[in-house]
Amino acid sequence: MESRLTVSSSPHIRSTETTQKIMRDVTIALLPAAAFGVYNFGLRALTILVLSIVSAMAAEALSQKIRKVPITVDDFSAVVTGLLLGMNLPVSVPLWLPIVGSAFAIIIVKQAFGGLGHNFMNPALAARAMLVASWPVEMTTWTAVKADAVSSATTLGILKEGLNVPVPSITDALLGTIGGCIGETSALLLLLGGIYLIYRGVISIRIPGLYIGTVAILTFIITGFDVQTTMLHVLAGGLILGAFFMATDYASSPITAKGQVIYAIGMGVITVVIRMYGGYPEGVSYSILLMNVVAPLIDKYTKPRVFGGAK
Amino acid sequence: MNIKNFTNGLIKENPIFVQLLGMCPTLAVTTSAVNGIGMGLATTAVLISSNAVISILRKFIPAKVRIPAFVVIIASFVTIVGMLMEAFTPSLFTALGLFIPLIVVNCIILARAESFAYKNGLVASLMDGAGMGLGFTLGLFVLGSVRELFGNGTIFDVSLLGANYKPALIMILPPGAFLALGILLALYNVVQIKSSK
Amino acid sequence: MKDIFKTGLILLIISVIAAMSLALTNEVTKDKIIEQRAMANELAKMQVLPEATRFEDVTGEMATEIIENYAPIVEAYIGYGSSDEIVGYVFKSKPTGFGGPMDVVTGINLNSEVTGLRVGSHQETPGLGAKGTDAAYYEQYAGKSAAELIGVSKTAASGNDIQAITGATITSDAITVGANASIDAFHMIIEQGGVGN
Repeated sequence: MESRLTVSSSPHIRSTETTQKIMRDVTIALLPAAAFGVYNFGLRALTILVLSIVSAMAAEALSQKIRKVPITVDDFSAVVTGLLLGMNLPVSVPLWLPIVGSAFAIIIVKQAFGGLGHNFMNPALAARAMLVASWPVEMTTWTAVKADAVSSATTLGILKEGLNVPVPSITDALLGTIGGCIGETSALLLLLGGIYLIYRGVISIRIPGLYIGTVAILTFIITGFDVQTTMLHVLAGGLILGAFFMATDYASSPITAKGQVIYAIGMGVITVVIRMYGGYPEGVSYSILLMNVVAPLIDKYTKPRVFGGAK
Repeated sequence: MNIKNFTNGLIKENPIFVQLLGMCPTLAVTTSAVNGIGMGLATTAVLISSNAVISILRKFIPAKVRIPAFVVIIASFVTIVGMLMEAFTPSLFTALGLFIPLIVVNCIILARAESFAYKNGLVASLMDGAGMGLGFTLGLFVLGSVRELFGNGTIFDVSLLGANYKPALIMILPPGAFLALGILLALYNVVQIKSSK
Repeated sequence: MKDIFKTGLILLIISVIAAMSLALTNEVTKDKIIEQRAMANELAKMQVLPEATRFEDVTGEMATEIIENYAPIVEAYIGYGSSDEIVGYVFKSKPTGFGGPMDVVTGINLNSEVTGLRVGSHQETPGLGAKGTDAAYYEQYAGKSAAELIGVSKTAASGNDIQAITGATITSDAITVGANASIDAFHMIIEQGGVGN
């Protein structure tokens, strides 16, 4: 349960060899949910995942070549970005869309700001936000899991707009047999992946736990203690995927424990505000991006004081 | 000498790409090539007129009150341009709307008045105003074209990318202005560095 | 002391000259601007009620009644045909879309038929809600019956339902709210025996 990233006074031992291990663990943790997405939505989902991963790696190699720095495609970080982006797309998107998204994530958000560890927001999420703003129709066309329906809303979309469609059960949301992005539907497998990462010491429970907790408590209060709706809000959207795999990005989250608490609660509040009072049914990606941007400020006010230093 | 005053503003000291002045209209109105040119030319008209008047009056305006004097002169020209545009080019006026009065606070105009027209003769100031104004127009036109091309698939409403192109709407939304300007600035710097080697 | 008077005087002279030139420009452009604004207004009314050749504002108690009880309608006009007979009514409403209030002008003729609808100024998202100003969208309203309210369908137009702009249901709903308020106000006017001569 202890955080791998410890804030302490010098001397520090730096180790870059762990990047590859960490990223490989993240990839492993994501795979069950991604595989379920392919099972759920069919082979097209696999095509989209592969396209986004391959183009993320190609974009990484290309921009590192232009920047004349060592090419580090084999450190799995581009793979994670591509995989996360692919899992955040609806299955019906045109095939060029994951390529554009991956290129934007890697070239603009990651490499233009200095590469691994220097990105100020999560590249996959920034790319998703760009894609939603650019091609809103393609990015919000949901394909139903069951073959007989033409198009289907996401669970949160049904809740938001009060559509005349039966709301999926909690079991469906847990297993993942519901509409949504490729990799966000199976809450159970994502939780499993999250637990694996915590067990491996890659992430701590602090950010995802507090984030999901804040969303659950606020939703519970706002919906007038409706257990069913609250559970759907926790399980059905992108919350689990976002909380475990994207909010915990090292480069764009605060480093101190106190900072991470503020960061996680902030994301929870923003997510609920967007879902309940905003124009969109889902608010996970924007809440993470907004708190990513605030992270340096949180760090500034929560970093440990230097003893003996002049105030 | 005068020619240099003119060409300076076009590329070497381009108000947008080098001096990074007038960012508010630059980011806000460049949703299409036409809007960029319209805004640029309106600013150029104000810039040339205010530079000329301030240059003529530079011996007459006491240093202590030069800034309020500049502001009165610039604001008058902006209002005049605004009224003329509404009367004679109503469609352009509707498109630029809110941003016409904002030319008043465009720092390029005050910057040129303060740093050039107040210290130089009439002809040089006219040249400087025209050069800076056209440099600004060029910048807005390039930015507007890039955003219109990717955000709408057209330049001057002429379809260039074909019917199958799905426009990236973000480019004509406000964030697209920042993205496009950032990428253009990077390219401009690359070219500058390469050519100075 | 003398210095203050001198600088103050100079600033005064500059301001007076500026004010005079503004007054002069205003004098030149005033009529033209009023004409342009009136033309834009008339044109919008003509487009939604082509049978009419001139329009008159609905005034007095009827206007108050419409504005108070048929929100979001803000203005109403009577349309007269070539031989000065009433051919229909035009309503201007300001429903709230995704990005804020938008101007919707709806025309209804005496056969209880919606003759046209136009969206004027708005702050909807380009490429989404802004498609409300596309002919492909607003033409749907022309020819709809004003005997019943207009509905919005997400999938396909049928009967008295129009098809919503893909991805912009809020905008489509808002425009239809403006159209339906106009239909309600139209029935009220007819039940009261009409207005105008």
